[in-house]
Amino acid sequence: MPANLRPRSASCTEQPVIALGPEGPFPRVRLRRVLERRWLHYAFLSRDHALGMVANVAWLGPGLEAGDAAPRCTAILLVHKRGEGWCASQFNTITSTPLWSAFQQPHAPRMPGPLTLTSTSASPAVDLQLARSSRPCTSQCAWFAPDQHLRWQSETGVIARGRWTFQDQIFDNVEAIGYHERVRGYWGWPELGGWVFGFANDPGGARDQAPPAAFVFTLIQPRGPGDTAAGSVMVWRNGRLRRHFPRRCVTFAVRGQLQRDKVQQVPALSKLFGVPPMEPIPQQLMISARMGDDWVTYDYHCDAAARVVIPSETSLRSFSVHEVIGPVHVEGCISGEHFAFDTYGIVEFAGGADDG
Amino acid sequence: MTVDTAAQLLKATVDELSRRAPAVIAAAADQLRGIILGLHFGDGSRSELRADHSRLVVTGPNGETPHVEVYFDDRAMNLLFDLERKPVDQVWSQSLDVRGDRQQVLAVWRTFQVLSQRGSGLRAVQSLWRGYRDRNPQRWGQPAELPVDTRSRNPQHASNTGWHALDYLDHRYAQDIAKASSTVGGAVYTDARSLWDGYESKPWWQFADVVDTDLMETMQACKDRVSREFQRIVPDREPKAELYDLMREYPAREGKGLRPTLTIATCCALGGRDEDAVRAAAAVELFHNGFLVHDDIADESTHRRNEPTLHEAHGIGLAVNTGDAMNLLAVDAVLSNLPTLGLARTLGLIHEIMHMCRETVEGQAIELGWIRHLTVPKTDQDYFDMSTKKTGWYTCISPCRLGAICAGETDPGKLDLFTEAFRLIGIAFQIQDDVLNLLGDEVLYGKEPLGDLLEGKRTVMMIHLFREIAPKRRPRLLDIIRLSRTEKRFADAEEILAAMHEVGSIEYAVKVADRLAHEGVRRFEEDLAFVPENEAKALLRQIANYVTTRPL
Repeated sequence: MPANLRPRSASCTEQPVIALGPEGPFPRVRLRRVLERRWLHYAFLSRDHALGMVANVAWLGPGLEAGDAAPRCTAILLVHKRGEGWCASQFNTITSTPLWSAFQQPHAPRMPGPLTLTSTSASPAVDLQLARSSRPCTSQCAWFAPDQHLRWQSETGVIARGRWTFQDQIFDNVEAIGYHERVRGYWGWPELGGWVFGFANDPGGARDQAPPAAFVFTLIQPRGPGDTAAGSVMVWRNGRLRRHFPRRCVTFAVRGQLQRDKVQQVPALSKLFGVPPMEPIPQQLMISARMGDDWVTYDYHCDAAARVVIPSETSLRSFSVHEVIGPVHVEGCISGEHFAFDTYGIVEFAGGADDG
Repeated sequence: MTVDTAAQLLKATVDELSRRAPAVIAAAADQLRGIILGLHFGDGSRSELRADHSRLVVTGPNGETPHVEVYFDDRAMNLLFDLERKPVDQVWSQSLDVRGDRQQVLAVWRTFQVLSQRGSGLRAVQSLWRGYRDRNPQRWGQPAELPVDTRSRNPQHASNTGWHALDYLDHRYAQDIAKASSTVGGAVYTDARSLWDGYESKPWWQFADVVDTDLMETMQACKDRVSREFQRIVPDREPKAELYDLMREYPAREGKGLRPTLTIATCCALGGRDEDAVRAAAAVELFHNGFLVHDDIADESTHRRNEPTLHEAHGIGLAVNTGDAMNLLAVDAVLSNLPTLGLARTLGLIHEIMHMCRETVEGQAIELGWIRHLTVPKTDQDYFDMSTKKTGWYTCISPCRLGAICAGETDPGKLDLFTEAFRLIGIAFQIQDDVLNLLGDEVLYGKEPLGDLLEGKRTVMMIHLFREIAPKRRPRLLDIIRLSRTEKRFADAEEILAAMHEVGSIEYAVKVADRLAHEGVRRFEEDLAFVPENEAKALLRQIANYVTTRPL
């Protein structure tokens, strides 16, 4: 049975205990409150950068109604083909069970496991064999509002091989490299504010090995005071996390606006509702990080974007995650080793649910 | 125009801004009002600046004593405009001497603040000043020292980029990345901005307000975009020579591109995409051209956009048929929005288009009735009502409302907020067009000179003339306007024109247009305050102000 059609479990009467996260162990503890969330996130780019995909499987805590104790699962899949735009499912993508995740089913590096995501209309779809090549970062936590938080853990350098379906085109044996993340937290979209997140993998090196360098960043911008933002930049070298730059050591800047014609709104059903106008997406994103003698810069140009409209449970305005694909130049020096690479990366600009 | 002196640079700047950003000129003229400003530049050149209604006029010294005189040395040119630094960083002691009444000096200061701060973001203006600076480096002072940035920089990176992300963008991509090829947007420079500097977060979705943009450049881009769509819509099949070629050729004639710009800009201002508005804009253009073809037949016009009208060139039968086909194809263009905009918005567009067509044919009926029954309306209000119906809706009001619908705004209350501002602006625009037909250059205006008088068109000038002329002269003028177009001689039209000059009808019409335009701009700023201050709204603002600064 697909993961998002899991039968409801018995109702839960225990009082939630939520401070800076659920009681451990992290992946298995049950969702107890309405706004408690759990995600598994996947993002891949083919090695020739012609295809890209983003998928998110999300579980939301049980509803308030009596008997509504089971979490609700939604899954969306977006596939991008350069020059042709995005193809997206609704929030009812059919997923394989169990969902591939090194966090939930630990396994050895380079041992492939399946991940199948299929739109109910059969397109888009991906049927992949995923293999880890790198180690995940330690779990990170952003706190905002009195009792809300978001915890996430990233694993980069995930190698993917398999079949991609974009509209009526099928691409077999596509080699891709990407990113996997798990998220756990308790938040409402207006309080969360927004975030800027992204990654880039060095396309060099052997195809079944970890990328020589990988870059992951996060900037969470809650509604609260400006200094409550949480941000970090992480750099992997050959599969190992070599440097974690904390928020005081990183800077983010943007310039220009992406042409609106390059932004596609998904899922298709969102066009039927009164979705507010989209925010302009920056044209260029620059990140710099420095700690001691180590430094890294990330120079990203937005090329095409999909606006994923997500209904907000606690505000009238929907929350939008803009998945952006574009070329990037990453350069840095870690422990005296200089590295630089040019590739394509995926960035998320998310926000927009705040009424206020 | 060659720009070799500072005085020429000032004139070129004002000319560029008049064409590209009329709102800036109108705001500057509003500060200057009745003051005559004498400018003495460090290179020895001189000029005078004064306001004429909402226009700025730059001339050489003409003997009048200026109210305020400003003496610059070369270094002070940086004060007026600098590509990289804020004016406050450029003040040099004893580089500037200003003489005049204190209140008037302050007004002059505000005028230049408006010109430099609002005009300097335009790429075209930057290019003009950069060219002058590059050609005459000796007349340009060295920039003042900036405060030293004490933040630590990475030694390996400091030489070319600076350390912080903001510095990197500013240094590596000095003066912006290449202009985006979007239809609306990219005509002004945008500074890089920090999202997180290690201490302070600024949301990525909070962009700085853009108040002005380049009207000329963006209007051309919108026009080109809709022309491409237009060519795509018209079928590539027979009968070409008698139908489809005529449909392609006629709209391709030189026009301003006002309607497509209004539609696309309104859509973008409300968060829509250029692409979403293009088909609606093409539909309005098709309707407009269909109406023009029929209108020219009804008015017996001989020229349109500097070329013979369609019925003159191809006969009335083919012209009527081509006009009908344009109207039919326009419906097709509206319906083609279904797959992209969805049912609700497409139905909203159809409803709006139906309303626009009804207003237009009613307006045409009123005007043709005046001509057929040989009457001249008594009041200006009669003309305003007819003009709003005949041209106001499809020229200004409906394009905006259609653009808003394309963006997903279907609330009638919000749509109505576009109506009053653009109704007033539309009437002012039409009156100015009527004045230009009497006074303007045929090449610039595109219709035959005095064509409106030959057609017997009831304009504000005509209404004023019949209201003000001595009763004993009225029968003679009535006899002239009762003549059909073919019976009327050019000398008859000139006789009416002379009478209009005599009673001040043209000056009166200019004043009426000016009053309506200002009222329209005021309503624009008040009624449309709900629209975010982005580059697309800045474009709408320029169009609204274009009417106030249009050279007559």
